[in-house]
Order: sequence, then C-alpha cells, then structure tokens
Amino acid sequence: MDSRSIQVVRSGVLAPIKKWGTKWSLWPVHLVTACCGAELAHAFASGYDGERIGALNYGIARQTNLIIVEGAITRKMARVLRITWEQMPEPRFVIVMGACGLKGGLFWNGYHLVKPSDVVPVEYFIPGCPPTPEGLLRGIRSLQEKIWEGKNRNSIDFNKIELARKEIERRIPTPPKIIARNPFIKVDVPKDVDWAFGNRLVNELKEGLGNLVERITITGKNRICIRVNPKNLQRVAVKLKDKFDHVKSVNVIDVPYDNTFIVEYVVSSYSNRELMPVLVTIATKISKKNPKLPSLHSYWVSADYLEREMQDLFGVTFEGNPWGNRKFLLAPDTPDYPLRKDFKLEEEVYARDEATEGSKNEEQKQEQGGDKE
Amino acid sequence: MLGISEIFEMFKNNMVNIPLIQPIIDALMNIPLVNYVVALVLWKPFFAIAILPGLGGIMLVLLLMVYWERKLTARIQWRVGPLEVFRPLRGLIQPMADGFRYFFQEVIVHVDAHRPYFVQLPILTFIPVLLPILFIPAGEIVAIRSPYAIQIIVALIALIPITIIGIGWASNSRFAYIGSVREAMMYFAYEVPFVIAVLAMILMYGSGDPYVIVEKQSVPGIIMNPIAFLVFFIATLMATSRLPFEIPEADQEIAFGPFVEYSGILFGIVMTLAYEKLYIMCLLMSILFFGGWSGFAIPLLGDLSPVIWLFVKAVVVMLIVALTRSIYPRFRLDQALRMGWTSMLAVSLVSLAVALAIRLSGWLG
Repeated sequence: MDSRSIQVVRSGVLAPIKKWGTKWSLWPVHLVTACCGAELAHAFASGYDGERIGALNYGIARQTNLIIVEGAITRKMARVLRITWEQMPEPRFVIVMGACGLKGGLFWNGYHLVKPSDVVPVEYFIPGCPPTPEGLLRGIRSLQEKIWEGKNRNSIDFNKIELARKEIERRIPTPPKIIARNPFIKVDVPKDVDWAFGNRLVNELKEGLGNLVERITITGKNRICIRVNPKNLQRVAVKLKDKFDHVKSVNVIDVPYDNTFIVEYVVSSYSNRELMPVLVTIATKISKKNPKLPSLHSYWVSADYLEREMQDLFGVTFEGNPWGNRKFLLAPDTPDYPLRKDFKLEEEVYARDEATEGSKNEEQKQEQGGDKE
Repeated sequence: MLGISEIFEMFKNNMVNIPLIQPIIDALMNIPLVNYVVALVLWKPFFAIAILPGLGGIMLVLLLMVYWERKLTARIQWRVGPLEVFRPLRGLIQPMADGFRYFFQEVIVHVDAHRPYFVQLPILTFIPVLLPILFIPAGEIVAIRSPYAIQIIVALIALIPITIIGIGWASNSRFAYIGSVREAMMYFAYEVPFVIAVLAMILMYGSGDPYVIVEKQSVPGIIMNPIAFLVFFIATLMATSRLPFEIPEADQEIAFGPFVEYSGILFGIVMTLAYEKLYIMCLLMSILFFGGWSGFAIPLLGDLSPVIWLFVKAVVVMLIVALTRSIYPRFRLDQALRMGWTSMLAVSLVSLAVALAIRLSGWLG
C-alpha cells in the first residue's frame, strides 16, 4: 500500500511533472542519533557523492522532503522525530538506516526504545550495522523508483529452498521453585583477610567511637564498614573527620521488603598516606516512610553534591543541606524519585499516522484519533 | 485618447531589430492579432523588462547560477555534483527539478505568522528587484532613459533589504527575528562604502548617465579605478549574502534566518531573492567597471548584440562571485560590521580621492 505522500505525488493531471521533480530533488534532513551519521557523511562526501542523484543535504525540515533517521530512537528522540516530521510540507518521506532503527539492534528490547515506524510512516529501511554508503544511496535510489513507478520494486530474487524440519516436542522450562521468603540485603558481611593494619585500625576506631556505633567489620582488604544508628551519625562524623578528610560517595539502597533505606557514606583520606587506600563505609538504616537524615556536608564538603543527587533519585531528605528540596541533576518535570524500586515509568503514546496503511475509512478514523492526540 | 492603431504604430516604430529572425517576424506581422503580440513583445521598453536583460534574463541566470554553484562547490570538494538527472547535459536541469519540487510542495503558513504579510511580501519583493531594470540600458534597448539612472538604481537597490526585514517580521519566529536584525545590521555595514564607491565612479565619469559612462570607457573602469571596484565587489558580496558574509541567512546557525518558516513555492521565491539582487548589482558592475554593452557588434543580431554583451559580462561576474561561496568560511556579524565601518569605508574614501584626481587631470574630458 502506498503512503499518502506517494499518492499525493502521483495524483492529478500534473503527476508526471510532480513525479519527476520530486524524484530528482529528494533533499534529506538527517536525524543523527548514532554512528550511522558517519556513514551518511561518507555517502555524501567525495567518495560516493550522493549529490549525483540530486540529493542535497539540508539542515532545515521546513524546506525539504526527506528525513533520514540514523540510529536508535529513544523515547525522548521520538518526540523530536515526530515534531521534525510534522514540520515538513507534503509530500514527505522517511528513510531509516541501521539495525537500531529497524528492530532496536544493539539496544533490542530496551525499555527506552521506540521503533521509528511506530512514530512516523517509513518508506524504506536500510539494514546493516552500520549500512554502507552504497546501501544508503541504494535506499534513496529505491525511493526514487518508488516515486516514479508507484510500487516497491524487488531487485533481488532469493532462491527458495525447502527445508525439511523435524518436529521436536518443546518443553517449557519450569520456573525456579525456591524463592527466598525474606531476601536479605547485608552491607557488612565480615571477611577474613590478611590485613594487619586493618585490624589495628578497627581497634583504634572501636576505642575512639565507643558505643556510638553498632558494629565495625572488615568486609575485605582495605574495606571497613561501620554500622551506625541514624541518631549517632553526626557524632560519628565529628570523630572521623580528623582522620578521613573526604566523602567518596553517598549511596542509598532501597530495601523494599523491609520498607527501609540503607544510606552509605564512603569516606577516605587524601592527606594520610597509610589511609589513602582504605575505604570506610558508614552505613545507617532509615525508614522509607519518613526518610530523613542529618546532612554531613558541614563535616565533609564533598558530601554536599552527592547528597543532592540522592535527594533527586531516592527522595531522602538530608536536613541541613543548603540545596533544599529542589531538583539538582534531573529535569524539573521528571517524575519523583526514579531509582526507588516501586517507581513506575509512565507509558508514552505517540500518534502514528496510520492513514498510510489500510482503507480510506480507517484513514479517517485514524486521523480523528491523531487530532485528539 | 490614443487609439489601438496609434499604439500599434508606436510599438511598430520602436521595435527591436534582429536581422537573424527578421523573416519570421515579417511573416508574423502579417497575421492579424498575432502582430499586436509580436509588436508588443519586440517593443524596446517591454523587451528590456520582460526578455533581456529583464525577467527572462533573471530566469536564465537563476537556472544557471544554482547549477553552477552546486557543480563548482562539488568540483572543489572533489565530487561530481548534480549529474544523473540528465546525463547528456551533465545535470544542467537540476535546478528545474528542484523548482518543480518546490512548486508542488505544500505551503505551510504557521499559526503565529502575520498571514497577509507572510504571503504577500515574497511576491511584493519583485517590485524593488524589477524596478532597477527599468533604468538599466543595453544599447538601444532601454525602458526609461534618464541622466540620473545610476543614482536611481542605487536608490532602488536599497529598498530590497526592507522587504527582507518585513519577511522576517511577518514570520514571527525567533530565528526569523534574529535573521532580520542581522540583515538590518549588514545593510548598515555595506551601504555607506557602496554608495561612496558608486559616487566615486560617477564623479570620475562626470555623469550618472549610463550612455555617457559607457562612452567614456575607452579603458575599462576597473583599470582606471581598481580601488572603487574592490569596494563595490565586497559590497556586492555583503548585499547579496554571499558566503564570506552570509550572515543573515547562516543556515548552520539560524536556519536560513528570515526565510526559516517558508516552505514550498514561497520559499522558492524568497530563496531566489539574493540571486536576483546579485544579478542587478552585476549588471550595474559591468556598466560601471567593464564597459557595459560595448563590444564588437554582431551584425546578425542587430540590436540584440549589445544586450548579449551586457548579459554575458554580468553572468561572467556572477560566476566569479559564486566561487567565493565554495572557498570561504563565514565572518561573524561584528567582524563584518567592523570591516564595513573601518577598512571598507577608508578604502572607499581613497577611491573617491583617486576619482577626484582622474577628474581633475582632465583625462576623461
């Protein structure tokens, strides 16, 4: 079935002139999202020279009639593709090059992927990863042929071979029977390592911190974990800040079955040579309903931005952090707390111009549907 | 009141004489009704506007220039350029295909546009583009003969940027707005040196009458006052948005500036605007600097011979101007403005001094 653009070109008394003009003047505006862009550049540079067949690369959608989509289209780019396509005057055509645009390619089955054919009507797909410049030019030539003749021309006839196939009874694999009733997330699993300095350090810390901490364990070579009650976190930080001068990272672990967050501060030192390789994790458990924790940015300045990021992604409030409750890294319209386990991504729906396929009645229906969207 | 027969007589007495096709014209003049059309078409003022160097010349130049520009750029980049559309002519009719495509594409008038101006202005631009042609003579073929023709042409050329600014304003889009402001800025950059360079030439020849100017060029003007030519040439590049000064349109930065919202045939019209302006400025350049229509007469062409000479000279200049597009990068707006108001202004003043010296020496009488 011809797309609407092809029908527009091929209808009317002046069809021969329209066909001829459109055939030899396909000016692509290209939407580069991946490496196929390099192949497109190659196809229009001195080696292959796409301008021979009248295709001139152009930057502005309003004045051209062909989009070449190069690469994977994510949810974000799908909107861009649709807007670009809608800006174009009829007749307009879309060519998609590369495996990513065809079926997802490298990103097959990705949660963020949209097929270009769901967003805009596509005239030709050019398979390959990436396709060669010859392939791309052949795609444009095929579109020219389609405009001229009104139908897809198959230039390759593959030999058909009858394959004898033995019926095998397929067995559906059984699901695993053992499901942990109470999955356990443990941040401080003790480990026996040959680390004399570590043992000395743990003893020192135990003496210094006393009963402020719940437990101090060696979880590996150069790794120490301190488990703290959230109430005592600031007091522990005061005692540790002379020894360890910066925070390497702030992590939050969502523990859904327990309805808690585990917040980890990983601290280390840049000033003491012996302590440099040592990473000390301060882990504390807070409730998910009211996730609040005193900010440690006044003890370790580097904790500031990391806390802001965790506030963005998990919604843990660090009381005393100067940034407050605003979004830091994410866009202002992002839904709240995307890294929590119970976060659900919104399903996005793109208007697809189905008019290109199916009968006329369907066409009108789809158009009305499209208008509402 | 003039009767039809008097008007017909007026046409008949002032017709272009071309010995090559004279028998055909004589035969056509004997057929009733057709003879009116033939007389009108070959009436010298009408011929000047509608055929050569007027509208017909513009159409020819558009087809040739677009092709030449694409082909030349392609050759400089070691490519072939447009070819497959018609191989026997090396793709010469490529601009025609592009033209047809534009002609039959949808014209989008977006919601924010000022609808009447948005649609009218591209067509209204033809007025300041075609008016100067009234005053450009080519031998005996001239629409309006005036001793101040050069001054009038320069004044009319200055009207073109106003329509471009109007186009940008009617588009009501941010890129179009930026483009319009840039166009206005560029107008200030080139206009003063341009006018001074033309004034220098008028001062040198002692008249603004093209007939006097062409008569006095026993040596071409470019040799007598090359500095004025330099300023005129750069001002032409600036005025027509050729590449070193393609600042208002700048498709990589502001997506064709004032023309960003146009599509279909309206874009086809506005895109040709710069070429039409270039054509007129090149006609003016060939009159001022290359001896206008002087050249050896071709007896078979009769009155057409000087027109052909003028046209060929203008086209050759245009072909050279096209070269700058493929070999220069773009100036920034502030650089172009600084250039216009410092070095170009200074050089144009020097050219004025040179013209004054030639005038006082009494070389040109």
